Amino acid sequence: MKSAIHTEGLTKHYGDVVALVDLNLDIVAGEIFGFLGPNGAGKTTMIRTILDEIHPTSGRASILGMDTHEQSVEIRRHIGYVPGDLAMYPNLTGGDTLTYFANMRGGVDWAYVDGLADRLNADLSKKVGDLSSGNRQKVGLIQAFMNQPDVLIMDEPSSGLDPLVQREFQAMMREVAADGRTVFLSSHSLSEVQRVAHRVGIIRHGRLVAVEAVADLRSKAIRTIELVFDTPAEASVFEAVAGVRDVVVNDHHVTLSFDGHMESLLAVVADRYTLVDVSTEEADLEEIFLTYYRDGTS
Amino acid sequence: MLATVFTKTIRDRWKGSVIGAVTLGLFLLMGMAVYRNIDLTIYTDLPEALRALINIPADADIGSLGYGAIYSSYGALTLAAIAISMGSASIAGEERNGTIGLLLGNPRSRTYVLVSKTASLVLLVALGAVILWGAGQVVPAILDVDIAGMHVGALVLHMFVNALFYGFMALAIGAWTGRGGFASGVTAGVMVVAFFTAGLLPVVEVLENLARVSPWYYFEASQPVVNGINWAHLGVLLSGVVLFGAVALIGINRRDLRGQNSGVTLLDRLRANPRTKRVVDRLAGSTRVSHIWIKTASDHQGLLIVTAGTMFAMMGVMIGPMYSLIDDRLIDFADVFPDTLLALFGGGDMSTAEGWYQLETFGLMAPIAVMVVTVAIASRALAGEEARRTMGLLLANPIPRSRVVLEKSIAMAIYGFVVGFATFAGVAIGSALGGLGMSPGNIAATSLLVSLLGIAFGAFSLAVGAATGRVKMAIFVTVGVALGFHIWNALLPLNESLAVYVIWSPVHYYLGSDPLIEGMNWAHGFVLAALAVGFVGLAVFLFDRRDLRQTG
Repeated sequence: MKSAIHTEGLTKHYGDVVALVDLNLDIVAGEIFGFLGPNGAGKTTMIRTILDEIHPTSGRASILGMDTHEQSVEIRRHIGYVPGDLAMYPNLTGGDTLTYFANMRGGVDWAYVDGLADRLNADLSKKVGDLSSGNRQKVGLIQAFMNQPDVLIMDEPSSGLDPLVQREFQAMMREVAADGRTVFLSSHSLSEVQRVAHRVGIIRHGRLVAVEAVADLRSKAIRTIELVFDTPAEASVFEAVAGVRDVVVNDHHVTLSFDGHMESLLAVVADRYTLVDVSTEEADLEEIFLTYYRDGTS
Repeated sequence: MLATVFTKTIRDRWKGSVIGAVTLGLFLLMGMAVYRNIDLTIYTDLPEALRALINIPADADIGSLGYGAIYSSYGALTLAAIAISMGSASIAGEERNGTIGLLLGNPRSRTYVLVSKTASLVLLVALGAVILWGAGQVVPAILDVDIAGMHVGALVLHMFVNALFYGFMALAIGAWTGRGGFASGVTAGVMVVAFFTAGLLPVVEVLENLARVSPWYYFEASQPVVNGINWAHLGVLLSGVVLFGAVALIGINRRDLRGQNSGVTLLDRLRANPRTKRVVDRLAGSTRVSHIWIKTASDHQGLLIVTAGTMFAMMGVMIGPMYSLIDDRLIDFADVFPDTLLALFGGGDMSTAEGWYQLETFGLMAPIAVMVVTVAIASRALAGEEARRTMGLLLANPIPRSRVVLEKSIAMAIYGFVVGFATFAGVAIGSALGGLGMSPGNIAATSLLVSLLGIAFGAFSLAVGAATGRVKMAIFVTVGVALGFHIWNALLPLNESLAVYVIWSPVHYYLGSDPLIEGMNWAHGFVLAALAVGFVGLAVFLFDRRDLRQTG
């Protein structure tokens, strides 16, 4: 498949501070890639490097097959960008801001822009300096989407947005991917990435810890399972099953964490007791995410 | 250093005060070193009226000339400028940064914040004054210059109180309006007009007493370096300080705090009005953002209007008719005027209309006016967008960094030429009104050269900003370098053996060829243009190779 963003051994040092170490990443066209990590992990440094705002200490990167340094201007014809901690010109209205950037990019369909503004419920007639941070963020999102770029690079784009607008924004990202275009979404909020991303990369202390498909992560996920029997149960029965942890028995009720195949657990259970009810909480990336971090620190 | 609002402000701001004062100390060293090597009888033989005009005492010596040339004008202006920048940032600056709410979220009253900020302002201006006083003692000792009978302490005390006057004025305006840029702009304007009128009005016999309305009069008219402290004059300035302090206190406590919003301008009102909307939308909206250079120019239009307007009306049109009013005594003595005497003010002798205009308009005010706009645009052109974190968004568009530098340079150059043209138009009209018969071609030549000089320094400021990404650095380094070259250009010709080195100062290529008399010197114009182009090229080179700063 065609590569949208590709990095090879991308490394950035600020003096003695190592911000990014040997990052190898390949993001294909048409996918939504979630880039996850806590504050200060190196997400923004990675984005600023591939946008040629800062120069890598070593390694290289390409977007749509073009070198991010040598062909940076050409690349920028094909991307939309929302910086983290978005700042714009306070004395321009939202509409003026979009016009300013549209003049530099060309190819902006204003009917499409109006459609985006409607969907996000953005007021483009007010000065940016007079907008609340969420409303300012909407203007930032519209400027990134307005020229229907091949690659969208967004650093913490949902900050300040209310839940309804977030949902619309997620729909917009899905449409971009469905159109064969690419979204690179940096975030520390897992719930958002969980909803929209196909794959996630997890970065920690400047190093890429893992790249997994969201579906794969889910199957690996620890889920919390609650079982109800017609007779009182014994903890030891469940603890014997591989993958079971944190068993809490309360008379007929059993709660446990499980990260194995459901079949093996149910086989044991059905053998010993009569199952009255079973419920399982959806796999949560949050827990996987924390697992990666716990593993890293230990 | 973060224990209190007071100590934090000191921590944030001490550098400006120290760097400014130390730089002036170095200029004093340069000035006295030059004066030490020349025959001072050209000054002491001057008629009394002349000496009084330019603040030279009867027994002028190296010490009084050095203090007079460096401290009384540049020193006082610099120290006041430092006070203005602190005063305007005190309250309004925290509002602009959006930190005032956070600060007042603590159990501290608005009065406490104001008093703490004010105390730090006073302390840091005092620190600058102490350094200036120290330099005033050390420099003569190094150069073995006799300063017996000189009241350096009195001069520096006058400078200190004078600086507080303008610092408190900026504080009061900032505390009352919450607009930092407005506070510093208005106060700096008042200071320049005061400085100018205090020097100009005594030259005209009928207007002599009017000089007393200028606050600057109470700083220097009593010649504190010779006559010691004038408590009556200091009292006038101190009353102003107290008044402004009270205004600030009332202002900060009575009004709503501003958020980071930008306020409503006249254009916004016209834009909201359905009848004017269509035209204004085009003007203030789509046209304004059609190119980077147009947006850059439009961002600084207020500054341009004030600066060009001042140069046109006050420094241009008004100066001409005043020539006929000048105290005749001064013109009578014209033939004994040493050529180099007024070099610090751009030279020019008052026996001719050209000399009059050179002294009042072209010598100091015109280059300052052009530099105010060119350096204001250039210093913020790159570093300002980085500090406001908009550069990343701007460069996410398909434009090379060099285009950003070049378009912003175009805006800077256009503004430099507009101020030059306003000066030309004002002086040409002033000359016609006063019947002075000056050559319009020569006025145009001089105006063109001053534009080129200002643009060259603007380009230098752009290069500093491109290299460092810091606005303050781009401003202060440029102002320091320009002032250094100006003094260099003014003082070196006084000494025959050093006079040849004057060609290394860009300022020499502005008035060095006497363009008001001799007309355009294309070679000199070319040198200034080449400098401007060279620095813009350097800015492109430096900016292209640097990591963008993430925060201011």
